[in-house]
Amino acid sequence: MPESSPGPAVAVAKLSFSYGRQKVLDGLSLEVPGGISFGLLGPNGAGKTTLIRLLVGLLKAKSGTILTLGQKPSPRIARLIGYMPQLPSLYAELSVIQNVEFFARIYGLRDRKQRGQRVEEVIKLVDLWEHRKKSVGNLSGGMKQRATLACAIVHNPRLLFLDEPTVGLDPELRVTFWEYFTTLTRQGATLVISSHTMDDAAHCDHLAFLRDGRVIALGTPDELRRATGQAKATLEDAFLHFVRRQEKQDVR
Amino acid sequence: MSGSTLTIAGRIINQLIRDRRTIVLLVVVPLLIASLVGVSVPEKSILDYTAPAILAVLILFFGFLLTGISFLRERSQGTLERLMASPVSRLDIVGGYLLGFLLFAIVQTMVLFFYLIYVLNVNYYGDLWQIIVFEILIGIGAVCMGTFFSVLAKNEFQMVQFIPMIIIPQMFLCGLLWPVSQMPDYLQWLANALPMTYGVSGMRALMMQGQGLLDIGKEVGILAAYAVGLLVLAALTLRRGSG
Repeated sequence: MPESSPGPAVAVAKLSFSYGRQKVLDGLSLEVPGGISFGLLGPNGAGKTTLIRLLVGLLKAKSGTILTLGQKPSPRIARLIGYMPQLPSLYAELSVIQNVEFFARIYGLRDRKQRGQRVEEVIKLVDLWEHRKKSVGNLSGGMKQRATLACAIVHNPRLLFLDEPTVGLDPELRVTFWEYFTTLTRQGATLVISSHTMDDAAHCDHLAFLRDGRVIALGTPDELRRATGQAKATLEDAFLHFVRRQEKQDVR
Repeated sequence: MSGSTLTIAGRIINQLIRDRRTIVLLVVVPLLIASLVGVSVPEKSILDYTAPAILAVLILFFGFLLTGISFLRERSQGTLERLMASPVSRLDIVGGYLLGFLLFAIVQTMVLFFYLIYVLNVNYYGDLWQIIVFEILIGIGAVCMGTFFSVLAKNEFQMVQFIPMIIIPQMFLCGLLWPVSQMPDYLQWLANALPMTYGVSGMRALMMQGQGLLDIGKEVGILAAYAVGLLVLAALTLRRGSG
């Protein structure tokens, strides 16, 4: 079972990043406490995927600092981190079990017996045991998403980055995914989940609203709803409230 | 060599083995080309002269093609990026691909070689094992070259453009069609800077003149240097991300 980190699981300070001249992140700062599910919420183009790719070390920051589990992103710390990209990044010719087994080995699960048990455990967790011998290329989109999740969690990561993990899933599967995520946080893992749907946001313990590469609000879903001053405000109302507030500040 | 290198190599071998159509094509296409050469050559002596060069060229061409396209496909499908977010080093990744694809390059080489010798009755005078070792060296160079150029290409279309750019000029300049010594000086200079030239001259020395690997130390050294240099360059240029 993964241990919770004593400090914040993720600490980002004054982070900026551009693709050429296009600024994607603009002095972004946030901290993610350990052992919770933390949602990065924002519209398309807000910088969610770029932030996650920076956090897992796939991109290099132009300025600012990133600490994951107290260290700079590197292959060494990557052993403790899980990453589920937006698109299923699996080997289509290989079976489900071969894909999960490969990632188990890559993440250092050397003991054959322990690895076999863990591979079986995660494939059962995502409910693909019956399909374990099927080539991933022959699976449905939802099954591929589940197999991708199994690959991301097979090494029991302390910190898990999930980039829009519920996109394209039917409502039933979406509920199932949130059940997995709750199980993982109960076991002590920290989850950072990007999404643009308020349905996902409601499941998170903490949220950061992102817009134009900046954090415009931070807090629990209840805190963010209450900040609107309306008794029955939804998270959508809360997001729009903070967008308007940010726009007023920018005008000033 | 780390465990991750072997894991990546094992995964590539598994992937190709499960793709049966690709396996069949890997064997059948070089044989078809070799057969075409065999039946189109008017005299047996010309085939004996051409076969070593054909072997070197085909090994380089198919090794480059297989590795380049496969490596690039991994990038376009996002699987390479997924791997780059894991604890493996860039050298593990490039080394794993080299080992994995090398196995298929060797199989392809052996099939082609024995087909030329036993079906098309090409004569050879050198030691069989020394010829095979040199062929494997050419295969390593081809896999390293494919890996390096696929790192430079952003999509399959660009990778396909590298074939006429990288392989075809070498085919014209390597001595397959006419001797390098009969080319203009500046072309000789260019030919002597290209790996395929050394592959062809080494194969001819081994198969036609019965020389050994020690006699063709220059060819072995230059091909090995090319392979190591391209492998290191591929690892250095492999980006963790696209930013």
